[in-house]
Amino acid sequence: MAIIEVNNLKKVFGQLEVLKSISFNVNPSEVVAVIGPSGSGKSTMLRSLVHLEEANGGSIKIGDGYLVKDGVFSSGQQIKAITARMGMVFQHFNLFPHLTVKDNLELSPKLVKKMSAAEVSRMSLELLDKVGLADKANVYPSSLSGGQKQRVAIARALMMNPEILLFDEPTSALDPELTGEVLQVMKRLAEEQMTMIVVTHEMGFAREVADRVLFMADGEIIESGTPEQLFGNPRHERTRAFLTRVLA
Amino acid sequence: MSLSKLWDTTLLMLQGSGMTIILFFIAITVSIPLGFLFTLMLKSRVKPVKWLAEGYIYIFRGTPLLLQLVFFCFGLPMLPIIGEYLVMDRFAAACLAFILNYAAYFAEIFRGGMLAIDKGQYEAAQVLGLSRWQTLTRIIMPQMFRVALPAVSNESITLIKDTALLHAVSVSELLHVAYTVVNRDFTTVPLIIAGVIYLLMTLLLTLLFKALERKFKFE
Repeated sequence: MAIIEVNNLKKVFGQLEVLKSISFNVNPSEVVAVIGPSGSGKSTMLRSLVHLEEANGGSIKIGDGYLVKDGVFSSGQQIKAITARMGMVFQHFNLFPHLTVKDNLELSPKLVKKMSAAEVSRMSLELLDKVGLADKANVYPSSLSGGQKQRVAIARALMMNPEILLFDEPTSALDPELTGEVLQVMKRLAEEQMTMIVVTHEMGFAREVADRVLFMADGEIIESGTPEQLFGNPRHERTRAFLTRVLA
Repeated sequence: MSLSKLWDTTLLMLQGSGMTIILFFIAITVSIPLGFLFTLMLKSRVKPVKWLAEGYIYIFRGTPLLLQLVFFCFGLPMLPIIGEYLVMDRFAAACLAFILNYAAYFAEIFRGGMLAIDKGQYEAAQVLGLSRWQTLTRIIMPQMFRVALPAVSNESITLIKDTALLHAVSVSELLHVAYTVVNRDFTTVPLIIAGVIYLLMTLLLTLLFKALERKFKFE
């Protein structure tokens, strides 16, 4: 059974239809890469899943709970419970600059989950170790490189034990030589069976790590399939044109 | 002026600066939280609340502090009907005028501080499940105060100097004492002493805020 079911999702900004009736499912442990030209609605789609954008129509079902059903949103409390099952990693990291790396990780588990300080501390050190930044626990984000910041952001998202991780262009703000360390961490998460949706321009990553690739353009999913199908033998002219452009 | 006389004068003026310091502390400790409350009102989605804060700030920034001071001391009691209930001790009235005036400035300073915070901070907090209150107190306020610190420092130094306006409503503060001695002894020395005392007070504030800025550098 799918863990994410999106049906006829619509979003308009003023006159602009950003999402025109998007439908797709994601299965548990599946890694879905979303590719497409900028302005195609990829980020808006992803942000709708965690309620950072409010859809204007359609349904989003996470597990057995509806975030929005036929354009009608659940109660605030239900939305909170549903979005808590997902973690999000942003293009610009969005670390809290006034908190040390460790405090960035620990703030939410302490405040929201009311976990004990000892337990949270053990968990944060374990996760920092996992992303290779155990030695940076007590520094402020300002002293980290972009790649390190993004790895901290991933660890921070993992602190809340999400079932699903959403990545909104996680390497787009990084210097090219720093994308590898972030992709490496993401690849490891995929191997550990984390359910992931990754909006990305990293075609190499999509091809190598994703189970399925969605190609979006103009607010629609034009084509979806396994990386082999989509990269090797795209059916639509627009997909072909896009891939020729980015892989050139 | 003999040395002992100079010493007596200085002591007298230090006593006078006691009033300056008390007014400063009362005004700063009340106007900062009050100002922040107005900042939140400015950001309210309830229009009348926003308008109230805007109107308040317009009036208190748009008129001279001296005028407000005189109005609170002498004008309020002369209002028809309610005036008799608004008679205050002059120092209390002065405190009120300072608090309300500075709160308007602080509200704008904090609003500026909030503008500097990226909307990604709110989004990260939301996705991590923080409530609006937790986001405000744990994420937004600490960053806002950091951004606002130099402006708050500026404003507090202005406040120290503005306390001299108490002279206009005959509350005995530093400058008032200085003038009294000037008129009594026909000497300008007390003005110089007053200047030195003001400088010492602003120096202390400058150092304090520099230390605060270092402490909250987040590096």
